[in-house]
Amino acid sequence: MSPDLTQPIGTPALIRLSGITKTLKGQQQPRTILDGVDLTVHSGESVAILGRSGSGKSTLLSLIGLFDRPDGGQYMLEEQDISRIAERRAAALRSARFGFVFQRFFLLKNLTAAQNVAMALVNGQGWLPRRKRRARVLEALEQVGIAHLAKNKPPKLSGGEQQRVAIARALVRDPRILLADEPTGALDTETGNLVIDALHSATERGCGLILVTHDHAHANRMGRVLRLQDGKLAPAHQQVVA
Amino acid sequence: MIRMSGRFRSALIIGGQGIRARKLRTLLSMLSLFLGVLAVVVVQAGSEFAQKELLADAERSMAKDGTLQMYMPPHEKAAPVALETLRGRQDAVAMFENRAIIGEPNVAPVNPGGAPFDQPGGPGRFYRCDNRGNCTDASQTGAPPGKAIELNLVALTGDIRPFRGFRQDSGQWLDFASAPSLAPRIVLNKEAAKGFTRYQVPAQMHVDNGTADSTPQIIGVVDDGGASYGPMAYVRADELLNWMKPVALSDGNARLQVLMSPQARDLEQTLKARLVAAGVQAGEIYVNRINARERVEDQLAMMRLIFLGMAALVLLIGTAGILNVGLATVGERIEEFALRRAVGTPRILLAGIVLSETLLTGLMTAGAAIGAGALGIKAGASMFGSRFPSLANVEFPWQAGVAGVVAGLVAGLLGGLIPAIRAARIPIATVMRA
Repeated sequence: MSPDLTQPIGTPALIRLSGITKTLKGQQQPRTILDGVDLTVHSGESVAILGRSGSGKSTLLSLIGLFDRPDGGQYMLEEQDISRIAERRAAALRSARFGFVFQRFFLLKNLTAAQNVAMALVNGQGWLPRRKRRARVLEALEQVGIAHLAKNKPPKLSGGEQQRVAIARALVRDPRILLADEPTGALDTETGNLVIDALHSATERGCGLILVTHDHAHANRMGRVLRLQDGKLAPAHQQVVA
Repeated sequence: MIRMSGRFRSALIIGGQGIRARKLRTLLSMLSLFLGVLAVVVVQAGSEFAQKELLADAERSMAKDGTLQMYMPPHEKAAPVALETLRGRQDAVAMFENRAIIGEPNVAPVNPGGAPFDQPGGPGRFYRCDNRGNCTDASQTGAPPGKAIELNLVALTGDIRPFRGFRQDSGQWLDFASAPSLAPRIVLNKEAAKGFTRYQVPAQMHVDNGTADSTPQIIGVVDDGGASYGPMAYVRADELLNWMKPVALSDGNARLQVLMSPQARDLEQTLKARLVAAGVQAGEIYVNRINARERVEDQLAMMRLIFLGMAALVLLIGTAGILNVGLATVGERIEEFALRRAVGTPRILLAGIVLSETLLTGLMTAGAAIGAGALGIKAGASMFGSRFPSLANVEFPWQAGVAGVVAGLVAGLLGGLIPAIRAARIPIATVMRA
């Protein structure tokens, strides 16, 4: 029997999904998009998820990020069952445990880079005085190498810089796990590499990373590469051919 | 508590950012709301001013709230007893009202019976009635018409202004501290002043039952709130008593009343007892307490209700403006709100952000409307103060400011409620599908 490559061995799991199912109820027939997904992610581990468009990658990410709830199965976060968690607690966990990076940067154009990053701190989950808030924001921007652009507004930043601001926003609360949904989709290869570098460096500080991507080159830089197909998550070939 | 404080601060910070980011929209919302809040401010300021003026007018014509008012029947002993009992008392003043004619003697005055000067057709037929109800046509005296003015002369035992808030129009008020003058000093009301401005008459005063005519000195004019009741003049009782006997102050046609402070219950009892002892029928002494404020408030209540209703309607239109802009703004900010939820912002805070924006807009509008109202009142006072003395020292009432702030907040709350609920319901997965 071959080892299950979706399940790493060793340290306690950060995230453990078991038999997760999700059916989308659209205008047409209900469609089961996740059909018994198992996944375990540890601290400092990076996982890439590949799959065709519509295969359910983003749906899986939204379940992991507590944007939505699974229809079935079990979701353990740091050994706590959060499969049926209430929205109020989910909001608190999203703030404290997760960082999100999306394909579109979702920066507010009327705010500076620093204010966009601070958005994750001014979210009603505790309160930081202005001075501490500013220090945290600058630290996060420093981590992605753009502290000097703190006062610039998004229209004055390049695509790569905007995505790095978005990554700083995801990192500013020191999340346990980063969820990135095609973060390089709108960037050229070189800039995309810089963004992946920034995400990767977060794993070196003990943060878990789940990257949904179509880009095999970027996927190959992750510790594990999985493919979502027919509602199930399976290990891809270790070196995916682009 | 800390958690709530954090959410409150977060809502204010993000709300402030939202307003700064959409200045034009905020301005348009404020414009739509401005007239409504201004209407509330103006109605409240107007009703406060009207209440103050009506109350002041009622206090001038009747007496201040709580004052005890005692009416005495005409009786030869009534005036001497009242003069004796009130001597040295600062908490009460007696008023003896008699007929007087100033001008040529033995002629028919220009206003027979002390009629007002601007009656339709001019001073004409006026009936004078005695206390038994017998009325005679004051113009049918048989005397030839001459240069004389008839008025009611009110003799005072002390300063009446603590009880009735007369407004000095010109000249000065009676000085009760100085020695009495043989030439009685009189202060006219505005109606009497009108007569003396219009007609030139000799300075000779004839008082009913007087021992001789005197030469009066007109020293001032007051607004006594009773202009419509005809010309009146106020005089010190001791100066008038140089020209008539005390019993004449309470003869058949004289009217007697005593105004007492609310605390002067002992005086009321003493005066009553002494009057009864002097032969006045106890049942003919009437005492009542002035309740001017209640009367004025009753008069104003309906008017205020109607105007507030109209103001509320205008405010409602402004609220609809905020609602409209709020819904459009939330529609545009779907991604922003979904993103905020993604980074952990609770639904309640999203609603709070939208509400804080509309409440801040309402507050800023209230500030503008209150400022405009205060400036308007100041400008009105400086422009019309000389023509209307009641406007001269008018100030912006704090109640109007409070009403403006409340109106702004209520409009912000009502206009922001539905957009806030919509914002809180935006599905978080919007950011994933974008």
